Amino acid sequence: METRKNEPVRIGFYVCHCGVNIAHMVDVEAVAKYVATLPNVVVSRNYKYMCSDPGQEMIQTDIREQRLNRVVVAACSPLLHEHTFRGATEAGGLNPFYFQMVNIREHDSWVHTDRLEATRKAMALARAAIQRVPHHKPLEVKKVPINPDVLIVGAGIAGIHAAITMANAGKKVCLVEKEPSIGGHMAMFDKTFPTLDCAMCVLSPKMATVGSHPNITLWTYSEVVKVDGYVGNFKVTVRRKPRYIIEDLCTGCQECVANCVYKEPKFPDAFNLGLGKRKPVYMPFAQAIPSIAIIDPEVCLNFKRGKNPDGSYTVSDKCKKLCVVACGDRKAIDFTQKAVDKEITVGTIIMATGFKTFDPHRTPYYGYGVYPNVYTALELERVINASGPTEGHLVMRNGKEPKRVAIVHCVGSRDENTNRWCSRVCCLYSLKLAHLILEHTDAEVYNFYIDMRTPGKSMEEFYNRVAEEGMHLVRGRVADVYPDPNDTASGRLIVQAEDTLTNRILKIPVDMVVLSVGLEPRPEAEDLRRLFNLSCSSEGWFLERHPKLAPVSTFTDGIFLAGCCQGPKDIPDSVAQAGAAAAEAFSLIDKGYVEQEPNTAFVLAEECSGCKSCIPLCPYTAISFNEETKKAVINEALCKGCGTCVAACPSGSIVQNLFEDQEIFSEIDGVLAPLPQ
Amino acid sequence: MSKTANPFEERITMAGVAEAAVVDRTTTLQTLLDTPAGRRMLTCIQCGTCAGTCPYGDYMEFSPRLVINMLRRGFIDEVIKSDSLLRCVACYACTAKCPRNIRLTDVLLPLVKEQVLMNNTQMPAEFQKSLENMHRYGNPMGESPRKRAAWTATAGVKVPLIAEVKCEVDVLWFVECYTSFYARGQENSRATAKLFAALGVDFAILGNDEKCAGECGQMTWESGLFESLAEYNMKLFGKYKFRRIVTGDAHAFNAFRFRYPMYGLTQPVEHTTQFFARHLEQLKPKLKKPLNLVVTYHDPCCLGRAVGAYEEPRALLQAIPGVKLVEMVHNRVNSVCCGGGGGGMWLDTYYKQKGMDRLSERRVKEAIAVGADVLAVACPYEVSRFEDALKVVPHDKPMVVRDVVELLAESIG
Repeated sequence: METRKNEPVRIGFYVCHCGVNIAHMVDVEAVAKYVATLPNVVVSRNYKYMCSDPGQEMIQTDIREQRLNRVVVAACSPLLHEHTFRGATEAGGLNPFYFQMVNIREHDSWVHTDRLEATRKAMALARAAIQRVPHHKPLEVKKVPINPDVLIVGAGIAGIHAAITMANAGKKVCLVEKEPSIGGHMAMFDKTFPTLDCAMCVLSPKMATVGSHPNITLWTYSEVVKVDGYVGNFKVTVRRKPRYIIEDLCTGCQECVANCVYKEPKFPDAFNLGLGKRKPVYMPFAQAIPSIAIIDPEVCLNFKRGKNPDGSYTVSDKCKKLCVVACGDRKAIDFTQKAVDKEITVGTIIMATGFKTFDPHRTPYYGYGVYPNVYTALELERVINASGPTEGHLVMRNGKEPKRVAIVHCVGSRDENTNRWCSRVCCLYSLKLAHLILEHTDAEVYNFYIDMRTPGKSMEEFYNRVAEEGMHLVRGRVADVYPDPNDTASGRLIVQAEDTLTNRILKIPVDMVVLSVGLEPRPEAEDLRRLFNLSCSSEGWFLERHPKLAPVSTFTDGIFLAGCCQGPKDIPDSVAQAGAAAAEAFSLIDKGYVEQEPNTAFVLAEECSGCKSCIPLCPYTAISFNEETKKAVINEALCKGCGTCVAACPSGSIVQNLFEDQEIFSEIDGVLAPLPQ
Repeated sequence: MSKTANPFEERITMAGVAEAAVVDRTTTLQTLLDTPAGRRMLTCIQCGTCAGTCPYGDYMEFSPRLVINMLRRGFIDEVIKSDSLLRCVACYACTAKCPRNIRLTDVLLPLVKEQVLMNNTQMPAEFQKSLENMHRYGNPMGESPRKRAAWTATAGVKVPLIAEVKCEVDVLWFVECYTSFYARGQENSRATAKLFAALGVDFAILGNDEKCAGECGQMTWESGLFESLAEYNMKLFGKYKFRRIVTGDAHAFNAFRFRYPMYGLTQPVEHTTQFFARHLEQLKPKLKKPLNLVVTYHDPCCLGRAVGAYEEPRALLQAIPGVKLVEMVHNRVNSVCCGGGGGGMWLDTYYKQKGMDRLSERRVKEAIAVGADVLAVACPYEVSRFEDALKVVPHDKPMVVRDVVELLAESIG
């Protein structure tokens, strides 16, 4: 049923209580009563839950029985339920765009404390919609086909799991990783809580799958530099940084490494957090995927020292290049390799860019970087790990095995001075590390904690199990770490804290201090947020569309989140979230198309002067110039409804659906008109 | 150098303590939890960082952590009956590291301490006497107020009295008590006067009319006494025109910064080290005489943790030719108090009776350990405290205690 011209406008108005969410702050009955007095309003009702089935049926029945041709619902955010009520309007037999939503929850009841004023605000907002909706026109939703390929950014455990899930289902995946190898933080861990299985043992098969999967294009040592387009059709530019090794030719034999002019590894090894050494040409770690060497131009003798302004390096040709000789016919080494930008088109994107660990220089009283025997938990993971710099022997920088170790919880977590959030994994990994220290040494271990947080399946049982092994669990946050004044030679440290359960100040002499550093957003998260048009929480984590009901979606359609880039989580949760993100991406891809809001702009050809001022302004290059008619033309398929051209057009000849001048001005008039006292 | 480019315009803070006072002067223990600062106490997670970092935590029956919980549970009377909080030296260590930004040092503990004072009939005599002196003579040592400005005769440069200047001055220099009366304190004042003169600063002092700023405000336990001193000084300030207050006394600085605004002070206040650091570019060419000394710097609590001014004094020291700056184990936010704050200046005998070690001795041991020739300070309390400590702590290499401004003045020659 479409409204015919000159047919009188008949509006149905519905104000929702939202339980008490709206009704406690807005007098919904008064709003309904007031709106009933406004012109064109035929029905004005209030109801406890408009989004419920009975609520929606009420709208449909009224459309049929009261011959309504416009519907206004005052309820929550359109983000949540505009779709619902457009559906109800359509089910009642009207064009869904004869519906208008008024947000009196997020914009009113939730943010005000004066019931009278909040009620008046609801009335004003409702009247704005009532005045706007007569100008609405029937519009049609367009369907745009979706590109089934997916981009996954970040190849830690979350990115890896999402990639394999999608690839196994036959989707083409492009997996982009910043580092030379995939694996992320998980590849650095020794064993994992609560099962104590070796991290690499469970991870490396998945890494190998990624490396060999026919549906996965793996681009390591690469970064996304540009993102254009929209859901279903993203155009992404990926910069592949030069590793000076031709990936297709390298067999991973590492003869270049063995034959490098540096006979001994000399440079800090990033994978081992600088605790180990590597050569200028190196394999990131034994199980690296892709199993391809990389050359560090900062230290390789065949390059001139220092970067060029464009970030590239100049070949010096000063080295004997024994690596090239060793590589022989494989010819995999290319000192002239340059960064290459590759453009790909995908329909959906999964962000799995991970986290960084807190830098404990920011809590100077723990002595990190000052006393060599203060380690971060991640450093200890490497020291304990059989493939780490000490081949799994738990020894300190001085080569000695510690006799007493303090593990300091909550470093850079739950702290107003650094990061306010609980990092969720530290209590458990601290217990795990305590267990591993006991397994590797005869040391006495002290865990200093504020609250022991071990939620999750099998986690409390794990706590119980390792506590029985005989570590000291001290409830008190460490306040100070300083060298033992009575023993300055050995590097022994005093850890000072209040044991809050016995009211005593403890000064425990230890050989090694392990800081259980929290998780925080990566420093480049803000750049990524801009690049992908995402939102961040105030802490800097990527923001999910809804904390409970859309935990892996973002406010940008077609982009999903997995793993710690959205907030701290453990491995099981990262994997679960990666699966969820993959499923959300599938749900879009397998539908085959995306619906486009018909809020596009169009040119009134008879009024267009052909000045072309709109053309360069369009961020989506949707406007072209028709040389025959000398008029601007907007490609509706490309228009995203941003309204820039509408505002810029000097002759006012561009109109935007859903935001026509008359609609907007009527709305403004409505919101500003005086209210009854 | 443009004003905005000066690094010392921005404070480097560890904790959120560098805000103006967040409770008004009428707040009591009963009303505290209803104030914004009090509500922070409801967020305390009882982690014990405060107790663990407290220099006298070992000797406290009620640690700061416990005080918060006793308050929350309604058992604060038990804390007031104990002399536990006599051991608080108001050093801001608990506040600076508190993961919940709870203002123990300048909000909760002073309110509790005042109640302790009112409920405790037996107050340490030395302490009692100092408070009485402050009340009667306007200085804790009981010196004649008429001799307060006597040191200016030996200043070597003209030290104008604001009453005689008759027009607006840029800097009202609040000299304070130890720096007016004590021989070693006067060296600090003479150095400051010399530096002001060298920089051509438009300054004046209050002279004999000046009275003690009231230490760190309520932190000296007696809010009534503080109030009368603050009201006296505010009335005096009202008589003159000046653009800023500069003081070399870190405790007076603290009182002006956090408490005096409640009594109507609107002019900005700077510590001398902050003021001179802000003028470092003008000062540098005048620092000609090399001192050739290994210097370690002790952060005064009221300057370091209270407002985060850790780098200004260090920048001044490093600008002196021939000074090698070394750091003690505990520095900046982790600095150890000299033991003189919160009334500790007049509680040494009491602490000794209770078998407590002297914090000044703990501190000079750290200075000795780094092999310094000079223990540099920026608070007049510290000079006498550390000089006394050096008399009893054995050390092979001679060490002297000097205020940062004294070293600067010496380098000017």
